[in-house]
Amino acid sequence: MSLNVRPILSALLRNRTGAVLVAMQIALALAVLVNALYIVVQRVEKMQRSTGIDVDNVIVVATSGLNDRYDSVAATRVDLDYLRGVDGVVAASAIGGIPLSDGGNAEPLVTTPDGNRADSYNSFEFDEAALDALGVHLVEGRNFRHDEIQPPLTKEDAARPIAQIIITRALGERLFPGQDPLGKVVYDSLKRPSTIIGVVDPMLGAFVNSPHPDWVYLKPRAPTTFIAGVNYFVRTRPGARDGVMRVIEEHLNQTNPDRVIHWVRPLSYFKNLSYLWDRAMSIYLLTVTALVIGVSTLGIFALATFNVSTRTKQIGTRRAVGARRRDIVRYFLIENGLITSAGVLVGCALALATGYWLSLHYALPRLNLYYLVGGVLALWGIGQLAAWQPARRAAAVSPAVATRTV
Amino acid sequence: MLAYYTQLAFRSFRRNPGLSALMVLAIALGIAVCVMTLTVYHAMSGNPIWWKSERLYSVTMDNWDPNNPYHEQPNLPPPELTYQDARHLFGSTIPQRKVIMFSTSGDISAAATTPARPARTRFTTADFFAMFEVPFLYGGAWSARADDPPQPLIVLSREENEKLFGGLNSVGRTVRWNDHEFRVSGVLDDWFPRPRYYDLNGGHFQEPDSVYLPFAWGIAHEQLNDEEADCWRPEVINSYPDYLASDCVWLQMWVELPDASSRARMQAFIDGYWAEQRKGGRFERPRNNRLTTVGQWLRDREVVDNDNRLLVGLGFAFLAVCLINTVGLLLAKFLNGAAITGVRRALGASRRQVFIQHLIEVGVLSLLGAALGLGLAALGLAAIHHLYAAAHLFHRGGYQELMHFDPIGVAWALALAVLATLAAGLYPAWRVGRLPPAVYLKSQ
Repeated sequence: MSLNVRPILSALLRNRTGAVLVAMQIALALAVLVNALYIVVQRVEKMQRSTGIDVDNVIVVATSGLNDRYDSVAATRVDLDYLRGVDGVVAASAIGGIPLSDGGNAEPLVTTPDGNRADSYNSFEFDEAALDALGVHLVEGRNFRHDEIQPPLTKEDAARPIAQIIITRALGERLFPGQDPLGKVVYDSLKRPSTIIGVVDPMLGAFVNSPHPDWVYLKPRAPTTFIAGVNYFVRTRPGARDGVMRVIEEHLNQTNPDRVIHWVRPLSYFKNLSYLWDRAMSIYLLTVTALVIGVSTLGIFALATFNVSTRTKQIGTRRAVGARRRDIVRYFLIENGLITSAGVLVGCALALATGYWLSLHYALPRLNLYYLVGGVLALWGIGQLAAWQPARRAAAVSPAVATRTV
Repeated sequence: MLAYYTQLAFRSFRRNPGLSALMVLAIALGIAVCVMTLTVYHAMSGNPIWWKSERLYSVTMDNWDPNNPYHEQPNLPPPELTYQDARHLFGSTIPQRKVIMFSTSGDISAAATTPARPARTRFTTADFFAMFEVPFLYGGAWSARADDPPQPLIVLSREENEKLFGGLNSVGRTVRWNDHEFRVSGVLDDWFPRPRYYDLNGGHFQEPDSVYLPFAWGIAHEQLNDEEADCWRPEVINSYPDYLASDCVWLQMWVELPDASSRARMQAFIDGYWAEQRKGGRFERPRNNRLTTVGQWLRDREVVDNDNRLLVGLGFAFLAVCLINTVGLLLAKFLNGAAITGVRRALGASRRQVFIQHLIEVGVLSLLGAALGLGLAALGLAAIHHLYAAAHLFHRGGYQELMHFDPIGVAWALALAVLATLAAGLYPAWRVGRLPPAVYLKSQ
């Protein structure tokens, strides 16, 4: 079966403005579609990556002292004893810093005492119950022992050395590539050694919007109260979280007048807040992409309709001299296919150029070519669909039209 | 003539209502998306004190590690100063106004017997309020004399005053901050500079603080900033005096310099201090003492982030798709009406008149599109607002204030869209004027 592309092409070239406009639209739509979807997929992957933390069942309670009578160690012990006894609570602990909150502490670590000041890594103050309170899994070595947990730092004693630390597997790979980090020694900015006694995996730290949120280490120390307050982390049985939150907020507010409860929030609050921009961006990109596709489809449809209506007489003539209905349908679909192909060709170049520019300016990986192939196929399909109804209408033109004027 | 052409335009819309509606919709969508992105962009990158942009300067000095620059961009100094440097530069009499400050959190109550609540607290100097043009509801700032020696005076935000005193004039009354007694010297009116340019720590769109206390009082009572300390020198800090003498940066400093000569003198003063300190072994990095205007400050600190520019790019790509669409549809529509145009030409209408007539049709279309587009944009912005409000993430401030319709920005976007549509209509209008009338008369 011959497609008879030649006459369609020469007819197109004689009257090209409309076709050029449609092709331009398709080119822009392809560039927007491919790159926007690519960005959205990356954002969604970022939001869905494993945090290693039982986010949905963890409650955070922010407290701090109100006056000089406040003793953070004693107050924490009393409060944690209470929290562990509440029905529905699996584990409770006091932690310095809030994972997934996009704000926290970072300090340098190096592998030799004389190593240059390297990158800073996100650190948290943990006790022996903290891993359980977050639901983080220890994959190697051991947890902190109770006697290893240091008392909180004071203003007079703000630089005490730490003998043991637990790190994430990702940080281990960063510090000791290809080796088992367990038992290795690392040094802080004052060149004092700490031994790695355990490895957790996976676990995201506070800076979820940084390139390496999983470069995290944990220090056995009660939360430092003079920089921020003490945060209690409470893990509940699935489904018990909201009830437990109400109970403990009421109880804690009524006990210990020297200690303020700033707020009681689910950990998911911080996760949502940290990913807020990613979510908004994804929704916006998807909406605009859908609109671009919608507007382009309507444009293709309207122009095809117009073309059919201006060529009624010619269609009638073709029908009168023997063209079948499906020849007419095929004519308009091929015409649409030619225009779409031209647009898609330009669109590929535009999409690749945009993708390259984005990879330069936004630290995105280079555009994946599967997206381009998918985008091309999608636009071809959309073009044919949009031209389908006008083509059917063209096929319905009666051969008798050829004998009438207009 | 204009009225007649407008009438013709509406008659032409009635001839192809579907096509016309599609065009209006395309223009409206393009405008709506553009206005929405521009509004967000404007709100997020705007300089909230533009009228003082050539007078306000952030003061920074590069005291950082000689081997490791503070920023990824090595030419940028740390955004804050050490205590020793800020203290010295604050002694200069060159600036018309000057401020050194840090923020922390504290607990506030109206009396010793009422329970305390946490309150964002800023330790600052007296000029803060006049310099950043902070509006007062009651009372006023403390005087510069109250800075040194520090008097226990406090300024409350309007919201804080509502919580503590039910919104009554509380000037002269006492409040307790971290169990110390302070006298209220003033209450602010609503004030939400966005972005919070004078202190970009902890997020660009943070709310202003709830209470303001004299800087020197905070130092005398060993208050710390609650952001993490930014230090690089491996020095042991065991006490508050150690911290004050360290190379840790934690204080913001701003000066108001009314003219170029005072700016030059201030720069010379900082450079002189720098040279003196360098002789003593500090400031090992190349000289980089900066007086930065608010606009440059926002650019340096990347307040307009990449995503935001990406959104604006996408907004304009979308407008382009809509306008191309419109040109195509206009062309189809005008050529469709070519027979009528042929009659008009045959009856003596000149090409110019035909051109103008069609351009007016485009103008009417674009105005309809713009009106609809504004409505859609308002709906869209309300939807964005709802998205954030539904998440209960910001009560006051944050995106809520961000969503203020910016009339100038919207006017620009509208003018741009109408002009762009008219420009898009030029070709079809010209094209239809060029058609030979005879062809269309023959077959009638």
